[in-house]
Amino acid sequence: MARFLIRRSLSMVLVMIAISILTFLIFTTIPHPELQFAGRFPTADTLAHIRHQWGFDQPVYLRYLKVMKLIFSGQIVSYSQQINVVQQIFQYLPVTASLAIGAGIIWLLTGIMFGVLSAWRAGRWLDRGLTILSLVGVSTPVFFLGAVLAYYLGDKTQILPAGGYVSLTSSPWDWFKHMILPWFALSVLFIGVYSRVLRSTILDTINDDYVRTARAKGLTERQVMIRHVLRNSLIPIVSLWGLDFAAVIGGGAILTETVFDLHGIGQYAAQSAQQLDIPPVLTITLFGTFAVVMIGAAVDILYAVLDPRIRL
Amino acid sequence: MSDGAVGTEFSTEMPEALRAEGEELPPGIGPYKLAWRRLRRNKVALAFGGLFFVLVLMCVLAPVYANDIAHTGPNDENIAKALNQYGLPIGPTWHAKFFLGADGVGRDIAVRLLYGGRSSLEIGAEATLITMVFATILGIVAGYFRGPADGFISRAFELIWAYPVYLLGIALGVVLAISGLDLGLFKIGGNSLLITAIIIGVIYIPYVGKPIRGQVLGLREREFIDAARQQGLGHLRIMFGEILPNVASTIIVFIPLVLANAILTEAGLSYVGAGVRPPNASWGTMISDGIHLLPAAVHTMLVPGIMLVLTVLGINVFGDGVRDALDPRARIRIDH
Amino acid sequence: MNTRAVLTAVLAVASVVVLAACGSSSTSTSHSSTGPTTAKTGGTVTLVEGTFPQSLDPSIDFTTQGAEVHWLAYLGPYSFAHASGPGPGSVVIPAIATALPAVSPDGKTYTFTIRSGLKYSDGSTVKASDLTFAIERALKLGWSAASFLTSTIVGAKEYLKGSAKSISGITTNDSTGQTTIHLKSAYGAFLDVLATPGVSYIPATTPIKPEPNSPPVGFGPYLIKNIVPNVSFDVVLNPSYTSQAIAGIPAGHVNVHVKVESNTTTEASDVLNNTADVFDWGDTIPPALVQQIQSQASDRYKPYQSNKTFYWFLNTTEKPFNNLLARQAVNMAVDRPALAKLGSGALAPGCYLLPPLMVGHPTQPCPGGDPNAPPNVAAAKALVQKSGMAGQPVTVWAQNRQPRLEWATNYAATLNAIGFKATLKTIADAVYFSTIETLHNHPQTGFADWQQDFPNPTDFYQNLVDGNAIAPVGNSNYEEVNDPHIQAELKALYPVPGSQLSSVASRWQALDYYVTKQAYIVSYGYLASPQFVSNRLDVSKLVFSPIQGNDFSSFVLK
Repeated sequence: MARFLIRRSLSMVLVMIAISILTFLIFTTIPHPELQFAGRFPTADTLAHIRHQWGFDQPVYLRYLKVMKLIFSGQIVSYSQQINVVQQIFQYLPVTASLAIGAGIIWLLTGIMFGVLSAWRAGRWLDRGLTILSLVGVSTPVFFLGAVLAYYLGDKTQILPAGGYVSLTSSPWDWFKHMILPWFALSVLFIGVYSRVLRSTILDTINDDYVRTARAKGLTERQVMIRHVLRNSLIPIVSLWGLDFAAVIGGGAILTETVFDLHGIGQYAAQSAQQLDIPPVLTITLFGTFAVVMIGAAVDILYAVLDPRIRL
Repeated sequence: MSDGAVGTEFSTEMPEALRAEGEELPPGIGPYKLAWRRLRRNKVALAFGGLFFVLVLMCVLAPVYANDIAHTGPNDENIAKALNQYGLPIGPTWHAKFFLGADGVGRDIAVRLLYGGRSSLEIGAEATLITMVFATILGIVAGYFRGPADGFISRAFELIWAYPVYLLGIALGVVLAISGLDLGLFKIGGNSLLITAIIIGVIYIPYVGKPIRGQVLGLREREFIDAARQQGLGHLRIMFGEILPNVASTIIVFIPLVLANAILTEAGLSYVGAGVRPPNASWGTMISDGIHLLPAAVHTMLVPGIMLVLTVLGINVFGDGVRDALDPRARIRIDH
Repeated sequence: MNTRAVLTAVLAVASVVVLAACGSSSTSTSHSSTGPTTAKTGGTVTLVEGTFPQSLDPSIDFTTQGAEVHWLAYLGPYSFAHASGPGPGSVVIPAIATALPAVSPDGKTYTFTIRSGLKYSDGSTVKASDLTFAIERALKLGWSAASFLTSTIVGAKEYLKGSAKSISGITTNDSTGQTTIHLKSAYGAFLDVLATPGVSYIPATTPIKPEPNSPPVGFGPYLIKNIVPNVSFDVVLNPSYTSQAIAGIPAGHVNVHVKVESNTTTEASDVLNNTADVFDWGDTIPPALVQQIQSQASDRYKPYQSNKTFYWFLNTTEKPFNNLLARQAVNMAVDRPALAKLGSGALAPGCYLLPPLMVGHPTQPCPGGDPNAPPNVAAAKALVQKSGMAGQPVTVWAQNRQPRLEWATNYAATLNAIGFKATLKTIADAVYFSTIETLHNHPQTGFADWQQDFPNPTDFYQNLVDGNAIAPVGNSNYEEVNDPHIQAELKALYPVPGSQLSSVASRWQALDYYVTKQAYIVSYGYLASPQFVSNRLDVSKLVFSPIQGNDFSSFVLK
């Protein structure tokens, strides 16, 4: 077990280092990075000054190490506005957390409900209806759904705010109203995926040997369903949820945040990427993947603990 | 074992699976034929498959519509006629010209919709091809050799898996637009559709590669692989002659899934400005152009959006049917 | 300067409105708020803008969103008058200096004295040497307009390089307040440079590092407070200013809360519904709302012509535009009415580099035909044939945002229609200019724009057309044109002081006509900036500076 833990953690660190190098390299392929914050029509002297100041005259690996040091000491500042990136991320964190937590709860509960109903009524009309609904959900791009919702429920009818964020502390009710559409838009895809996964896992589990054994032991169908089938089928769902949730918290909901103009971590990352502003992109990518990889490793370890047959 | 590998593998699985659905089993029928029979009975799946086929056909025939019916190209602008005094586009005319209205620069939406579909489908198909080829090879190699090869490939999968897709897309999109991709032997211009296809194709490799690797890990312990080894077959022969046919059904199931997701991802990338380059259309760029014209010209967003949803829905429902038909116990899990 | 423009709409017959605007408002509002006025003081108004200033540190920023604030929070020796309209609003007035500078006959030495006893908002005294410090700090922090200083002031370049400890060209005397600035050569627009918001007084105790979140203390009617990066900040009245107010620089009436909304539709509808008070002048009203605003809020919406030109540059060193006829064909074929429609009213069609409100804007009819009429494509096509350049491939470089992208798409279509083989190359906004300004990319043709930094044609010419501006990086002469006639004219025109500009107006006109006739630059229009406020504000008191836009100090609640 200890060996597995160490191996898993080691590979996690390796993956993260690889990700940081990859991201850094992608952005360093642009010629003359100093031009981007030298203003319009800089003189050669201004450029030389900036190159030196930011270390662009140093070899790539030194620059990489310097940036990494700055990130992990929390001292990193963005190229475009020269403000502290880590502070910026903490400023945006409540927005992204509001989105992730609310939507996460919605998609997990609704996904489970749909999945269970679908499996319970497998092959019947309810199942078919939910299946079609799920498939429509996974077939709709989130930004299109978001734009349609924002337009029809927001701009046109003024039922709900079409975008923007109000902090929870300043007005809980306004916060809630502003979050409804983003939560819904972000959840739809996940509900579709989760209910499909859960349905097939449940159907899969029903035929497993131990369930047959449980039935043979004389347990009621209800007991079998809840104690054996559902409990085992929920493991992949919850682990999937962990990964998706981590991805959204880490700025993965770029499209949702952008279409509703929430100004969360994802939108910050996207805007920085469009400006080729390396420090925020690198920092958010690292923190985001850190969350995903760590939760991924935790899930693997959890699996290994729960089910000793799996040693990945 | 030689040519019966597929049958051998399935014959142990299929009957039980099919019995679970309480089906009469005619003896001596191959698994793919069986699957086809099952699929044929699934009218909903066939209907959506048909819908997808029709949509593809329409997009293929885009030049015919442009030349003979609308008499305008996908990038032809008619600002004087199609924009009002405020610079807003006209809505659907339901005539040959501007059947579905015009976009923000006075181009015929119906014509662009069909040409845009070509780009979206082309990128989707290319990306799917890239994903399936690499995922299959890497998955089989990792599962078959295990050890360091598996370690390396699995870590690579993990890296791609954890990487923020859209950030990568935006970053590469911005960088490549300036200089293009120079791979020494061949050069891809910044405007090429292939760049978007490659980005998307790479992103989805782990989603397919991981399950294939898992399946191969199980297969390599089976008797028929041992037998093949004892016969002295080389690694390549075993991997692609013996193992590949046995993961074929997994591959088939994943194709529509990846295609659907690739088309959606293209739209998302185009929305954040990292997909198809203007003036060329794709459904994603058309939707995002339309969003900028809200709240005045809703049709510019709705038309391509509905087209996109219908197409992807067609693929998904049909793909769902194919999966049910091939593997009624739904052993393959969809990760998104 | 950078401004943010999004696909827009309107078409309020810009030229008519503009003329009307200049005529009516400038007389009524100038100097209306100096000294004690009847206007009510107090309250807060909310200004919504699409982009956060590049930096709230005046020594870094050079964006319209930053300048409109720094103009009020950091006074320099000189400032632009608080008045609407191109004439009154372009006048340079003394701010911390007691009077306009004494300029030596050779135009190379500027001398002025600063007012004594002025106190910064933290209570410390404003000293003459603080200007030297502020300029040095701006150079060290890479102020985006630093080239105005390094190219003019003696010793500025050496200071930046590190070979000098201080800028030798500036000498100050803190006890008398006398300041002398030596220039490398006569530069007529230098007074305008001294009135730019980045050239201001800040205490020498300010750290020499970027302070975007807690900007340096300054002297001016307003203070910047409560900064939440990329989200909001407050511009509040400086209580210590009223007692030491400078004539012509009013103390202001209300605090301003500036809030970023990255979607101009929300921005405009908030102001329309009176939930926000001021629409940022650097943004454009989205097309979808123009009609509604014109019908429901015409009394509080007014487009002002601002000196900003949009043009296509044609690279004269590359085929096909090294050929005069090919260039003239482009100038003839560009569909200016269509481009105006795509820019929906924010663009007034035109053909000259110098905008209509700038001294030197030619009065002759456009050499390529009436910019308000559809172009003669057939004639242009014939011209391309004649030039022998038909079928030449052309790459059109474009910025990836609306409406600039739409303009470029239309332009590429035009080039194809007259016989070239044009393809579009779109570059992300943030890297567009740095990419086309890298000389070895040799962009054949593409989008460019220029907004005045100060009201002097020198600003346009020294950056965009002067052969000396050609440089390996940061090249601003995209045409790579080095025409002896232009160079000779510029040499004579640069030293003319701003106060005597009108005496050389006809010479600038002739030069600008020449550049257009040679079609080095194919200009297609000028920007109209919106003044759009809520019904809470007293419209009659509003001042719209042609240089800094909405004058915060003119905001008064009804």
